[in-house]
Amino acid sequence: MSHGRFGRLLLRSTLGILPLLLGVTLISFSLTVHFGPDQTWEMLGRNPTPEQVASVRQQLGYDRPFVVRYADYLVRLGRFDLGYSQASGEPVLALLGRTLPVSVALLAPGFVLGIGLALALALGASWRPGGFIGRLCSATSAVGMSLSLVIVVIALQALFAVWLDWFPVRGWAVDGPASYLRHVAIPTLALIAAQLGYSLRFFHAVVQATLNDAPVRTARALGLPRRRILTRYVLRAALLPILTRIVFAMPLVLISGSLIIESHFGVPGLGRVTWEAINSGDQPVLMAVVSLSAVLFVLALGFADLLGRLVDPRIRPT
Amino acid sequence: MMPGEVRQTLRRRLPPASTAIVTAYLLTAAGVWLGWWGSDWAAIAGPGRVGPSVEHWLGTNLVGQDIFTRLLAGTARAFEIGLVVAIPSTVLGAVIGGLAGYFPNRWPDGVLMWLTGTLDAIPFYLFVIALSYALQDQPGAMQLAMIATFWTLTARLIRAETMRLRQLDFVTAARVSGVGTWRMIGRHILPHTTHILLVQSSIVFVAAIKAEVVLSFLGLGLQHSVSWGMMIAEASQEILAGHYMNFICASLALLILVLAVNHLTDRLQRRLDPRTRAETVKRMG
Repeated sequence: MSHGRFGRLLLRSTLGILPLLLGVTLISFSLTVHFGPDQTWEMLGRNPTPEQVASVRQQLGYDRPFVVRYADYLVRLGRFDLGYSQASGEPVLALLGRTLPVSVALLAPGFVLGIGLALALALGASWRPGGFIGRLCSATSAVGMSLSLVIVVIALQALFAVWLDWFPVRGWAVDGPASYLRHVAIPTLALIAAQLGYSLRFFHAVVQATLNDAPVRTARALGLPRRRILTRYVLRAALLPILTRIVFAMPLVLISGSLIIESHFGVPGLGRVTWEAINSGDQPVLMAVVSLSAVLFVLALGFADLLGRLVDPRIRPT
Repeated sequence: MMPGEVRQTLRRRLPPASTAIVTAYLLTAAGVWLGWWGSDWAAIAGPGRVGPSVEHWLGTNLVGQDIFTRLLAGTARAFEIGLVVAIPSTVLGAVIGGLAGYFPNRWPDGVLMWLTGTLDAIPFYLFVIALSYALQDQPGAMQLAMIATFWTLTARLIRAETMRLRQLDFVTAARVSGVGTWRMIGRHILPHTTHILLVQSSIVFVAAIKAEVVLSFLGLGLQHSVSWGMMIAEASQEILAGHYMNFICASLALLILVLAVNHLTDRLQRRLDPRTRAETVKRMG
């Protein structure tokens, strides 16, 4: 592959996500900054004079037009100048840096294993349509799509922590690999179960469609080994929809997972901080979490798009 | 697809078990709306946390409210949320998708597709959080957030279908006889997309009911009310003390309704989708 092709594709993906970046920051700004509750009284002491009120409003930028405030917000966001939490006074950036690793450690195993298991089951089910794995997959995804992550989390907690007493009921007292595994067990199982609904169904449909493609049918007729067909032909051809699905599953699974699991189990991660910020109306924290997650998600979309274009041989340098 | 064909498909027998389940839920909800049962869900009916008995069929919760009554009231709330979200978001998706698809690659299309992509790119739960923050805990923030985001897939599908339909002769014929844009989209194009709208509204209905459970659990949902999500939220604290009734009842109520609606949607989609329809007809013939 030439550098020119890579550069062109990179440019194209970057240009493609710019309008989306503009859109998500515009919505985040409108909801959490511009139309959000008036912050003036949070910043003032008792019985402020009208001059004090006016000076705080000027400091907060309430007297300036929308476009100017939006531009200011974008600059601050780009410089990671996120302000201080109103609840604890901690810099928001430090707060995110402290809690994000906990959330990643809590959720990554379940997310990755869930995707892997769903993909493996989908490949197995599509190889022999109507077989045992196929019927198992249909039943699993039908139930999985009907369950809510909330129900799965509580049921697993009741089963494994309260009734069987294998794992801790709540908390995050991690000081080594053994305690980490015990604390991460229930969230991991919950996230795997949560993905066996929509992801399994989607992967199944995509893989099945790819197996009917002419190149794959030819490869099967030639008697190539199954592993080779599945990895070299099926997975490669279906990579773009699978990648897109994984990227779209990330905010759904990770954000809802982080909010539900961390608030329910009392894990000091990003979801719990967000949940507390909702309850106390902590504007700087909410603004940072909403804006940065939306921006990160758009970047992930752009990355998946770029990767899909790179592996797609139909897009040739012109 | 012609509107008549959709009606014919609907008249053919749907899976009996799922139809019966959804009908039973709907009748339960209707009874609550008519005030026949489930209206005293807030009343303290007896001692707290007693097991099932003749008086309290499913027992009582922490404060002594009857779980069965709350379950009935929750059924009505689930239908209310599902319909309040599904109907406007499907209408919104139809109008936006129709408008974008009728002017492909012109400015309405560009602006509307940008809006669709942007709303898809904001993680849903964070959007709800931001909106309920902006609305300062006014009731309805949850429903508004769902309506504002759940129309996007419908719009994409309707846009694609409209782009196909506008090439057809009957649209050209209508255009040369002087039919205006809005009338064209509303009278001539959208009636031919009812198969998409039907399936999408049922998907959104389920998504709204499921999202309510998560949001009520997080404290972002309904206020001063009862719903399956709120029952599960209050049960999450009782589980640790070994009281499972509240949790099991609300979870099963949700699971069974969603399974049945999903099953019906799947069947409907398979029958109405032209790619799989021929096969179904062959099998039935």
